[in-house]
Amino acid sequence: MAAKWKEVQLQKPGRWPDGIRLPIVISVHHQSEEAAFVLPDGRPDPFDYGERQYGGRRGAWRLFEIMQKHNVLGTWIICGATVEKYPQISREVVKAGHALAGHTYEHEMMCNYPPEEELELIKKTVSVFEDLLGQRLRGWRTCFASHHTIDILLQNFDFEWDGSIWNDDLPYMIEGYGKKILEIPFSSYSDAITAVQITNPTPPTPYSTWPSNPPDFILRQMKAQFDALYERGADRAVLMPLSVHDFIVGRPSRSMVLDEFITYAKQFEGVVFATHDDLSKWWSKNYAAETASPRSN
Amino acid sequence: MATEIGTITTPKWPTGVRLPVALTFEHQSGEGAPTLPGERPNYMVGGAMEYGGRIGIWNILEVLDRCGVKATFFVCGMTAEKYPESIRAAHKAGHEIAGMSYAFERVRTASPERERGIVLKTAKVLEDVCGAKIKGWRCPDYRMSAQTLDILSEAGFIWDSSMLNDDVPCLFECTGGKMVELPFTTSTADKTFIAYPYPMRGGFDGLANAWNCEFDVLYRETERAARLMILSIQTWATGRPTPLRTLRQFIERLTTYNDIQFARCSEIAGWSSHKGSH
Repeated sequence: MAAKWKEVQLQKPGRWPDGIRLPIVISVHHQSEEAAFVLPDGRPDPFDYGERQYGGRRGAWRLFEIMQKHNVLGTWIICGATVEKYPQISREVVKAGHALAGHTYEHEMMCNYPPEEELELIKKTVSVFEDLLGQRLRGWRTCFASHHTIDILLQNFDFEWDGSIWNDDLPYMIEGYGKKILEIPFSSYSDAITAVQITNPTPPTPYSTWPSNPPDFILRQMKAQFDALYERGADRAVLMPLSVHDFIVGRPSRSMVLDEFITYAKQFEGVVFATHDDLSKWWSKNYAAETASPRSN
Repeated sequence: MATEIGTITTPKWPTGVRLPVALTFEHQSGEGAPTLPGERPNYMVGGAMEYGGRIGIWNILEVLDRCGVKATFFVCGMTAEKYPESIRAAHKAGHEIAGMSYAFERVRTASPERERGIVLKTAKVLEDVCGAKIKGWRCPDYRMSAQTLDILSEAGFIWDSSMLNDDVPCLFECTGGKMVELPFTTSTADKTFIAYPYPMRGGFDGLANAWNCEFDVLYRETERAARLMILSIQTWATGRPTPLRTLRQFIERLTTYNDIQFARCSEIAGWSSHKGSH
């Protein structure tokens, strides 16, 4: 399928609303045991399964409580099956005012699915959020985007934003099929990058899975990323998309990292913790302002 | 088939205890080292692990003795046969001896008969060595089969610690009666930070940081809910002089708190054996 959409980069530098120098958008990946590594006999690896299930049973609550304590909101990226298995935490997330995004149904790696199956899986996930939480999803983050993901989203749904692609520092609009969707790229500012070597998609080693970096290492990398962006934000728009997983930073020792990072970042003038819904609203104004006047090229 | 009855959200810790801390030492002497192609023994990795049986366990027993704390040792049956004196010494010092397979057999896909044989053989070896009933188990590669808890319950075990999915004990109804599961974590496991054959991620200060952060967070959370701290430690890794010092410093730090208790797994299971509200 050839892509029938185009990216629209702003010609004028985009700006966040006045006074915002660095928005931090925390994506909480709440996926419980959905991505557990499956061994060749078709059944999950119990070790990996348990480590990940911890996220649904405990880790998500711990992350939720840390964000409540600091009075910050973020975006919860949740698998459909996780909402079904652990509905209570999702209800609390909605009640607290966090933004939501679908994260496939059972953490299917969409790059391995034909378009018609990907479409059905997205529909199924969207229905779970509507049926169990009464929420119409405005955002989507797929798991390992396919070459069809953007086409499918534009053709079949009315998502305001997608957060699946890693290819830019700032949001950009995607236009196609008579519709548009804002791409809010994410990044390697992520616990999956700095904290652990996740098994999936690599098979567990004969020794063990889950080699891990200690909390102080993870915290130093987060602060370094923040410092670089904050400096760069002096004269241009910057964005820190920070991903944390319920089963990684949701562990007690590593949760210290999120707690202390929020404390650290909050000290700086012009730092805000925003949701993807906030970013989408703000950036769409930049886009509207520019498209209201004829483009230079 | 074992069924989870629920998590123990209101365990009966002893009066004055805010947080029980279980130091769980996994003890093998190279049985768990993967073989080289052609089923040849891996002397490199096996030797690194053999350190635990020869030296590491003695070093750890000395630190525990000096600090006056009790712990749990998960022991491979074959290791106990090779090095029985250290297991007897550990038992005599008041530590709990629990099972961890005979020769590091991986049971995830084992038949019930084979798995039962491994459990019974290991329990017998350990009981013969230390002269006490074995009540607890950890699967050596942390990968249970569907029938592990049932087999353990039928063999008279009362607790298991092979799962990684919670902060508090869970209760299971099994074919041989109730079993307490004491979930642990590899997020604070010594081996992945400091020991060959793993790449050294974090090092000794990183290991100390992970243990300290884990304790600080769990201790703080006991203001709102019950928590349990379990550390998974290899005698072949932390038994070496440098991490041994890290362990001693961590224990010394915790002993300054008068409301935590270093507890053996059987004690924790005993305080957890009723069902709290889910």
